[in-house]
Amino acid sequence: MLARFTAVALTLALAMPAMAADQVEKAPPTGAYKKVSELVKIPDFLPGLGQLYVDPKTLPAGPFLAYDREGRLVSTVYMLPIEDLSNKDKRFDDLAAPGGKVDHVDVYFNAGHPGVEKPHAHVVLWHVPKADEQRVAAK
Amino acid sequence: MQGNTDGSQVWFDPVGLHVEPGQTIRWINLDPGNSHTATAYHPKNFERPRRIPEGAEPWDSDYLLPNESFSVTLAVEGIYDFYCVPHEHAGMVGRIIVGQPGRSSATSVSAQAAGGEAIPEIALQAFPPIDEIMRQGIVRRT
Repeated sequence: MLARFTAVALTLALAMPAMAADQVEKAPPTGAYKKVSELVKIPDFLPGLGQLYVDPKTLPAGPFLAYDREGRLVSTVYMLPIEDLSNKDKRFDDLAAPGGKVDHVDVYFNAGHPGVEKPHAHVVLWHVPKADEQRVAAK
Repeated sequence: MQGNTDGSQVWFDPVGLHVEPGQTIRWINLDPGNSHTATAYHPKNFERPRRIPEGAEPWDSDYLLPNESFSVTLAVEGIYDFYCVPHEHAGMVGRIIVGQPGRSSATSVSAQAAGGEAIPEIALQAFPPIDEIMRQGIVRRT
C-alpha cells in the first residue's frame, strides 16, 4: 500500500509543472512585486534602504526587497506596526524570505511614511556584509 | 519638514510661528528620505477636527517629495493647527498664529470631530503653547 501511494505521489509530482521561484537578485524582481515609489508618492531611492519593491497584497509587513543603485539586492525589509507588535492577538507568521543568505539583521523604529503611515519597526535582513551597506547610503 | 537618516524621527521646524494676516507660509521638504504633507486640521481634510479659524480656507499640500514645497496665504486671524498625514502618529504637527487671536479662538480648537478620527495624544502634546508662540514669534523644534 505504501509503495503504491509513493508511486502515485511521484507520478503526480512529475506531472505538475515546475513552479519557478521569483527572480529577486536583480531589480526589478519578477512575480507580483511592484516598485514602491510607483504605488505611493515616496522617493524612488531611500537613503539607508535603497529602491524598494513589494507585493501590495503583503502590506504593511512585506517583504520589501531593497536594491542598490546598480539594481543588486541588498536587503529584505519587514515593516511591522508598533501597535500590532504590542497586540497580544496579532501575529506575523510565515512572512516570505526570498532573498537568500542573510549576513546580519538590523531592527529599528521608523516614524512612518506613505504606504505604512503609522510608526513601525523596520526589520532588515541584510544580504550583504556590513561594509556594503554604503551601497544604499545617501550620496 | 525634516527627518533623521533612519526615519525614526520626523518634525516641522519651526513648529510654531506667529505671522500677520496676509502673510504667506511656505513649507519645504528638507528630508531626503521621506515624503511629508502640511495639512490643516479640518473636516474637509479626511474628516479631521477643525483646528483653524472659522471661515478660514483649509489646505492640504498632498505628499511633497524631497525639495518640493507648498505655500499658503493666511488671511483670517486665529490659530491654525496642521499635521503631516503619514506622520501624525509620530507627533509631526505644527501651529501658526495669525494676527492677535482672541481668547475665543484659543479655546475653539477641538480634539474630536463627529465621525472623524481622533487626534492622537502624541500629536496633541506636540503643539507649542499659544503664549509661547506669541512671546517668541517663532518656536523651533527642540
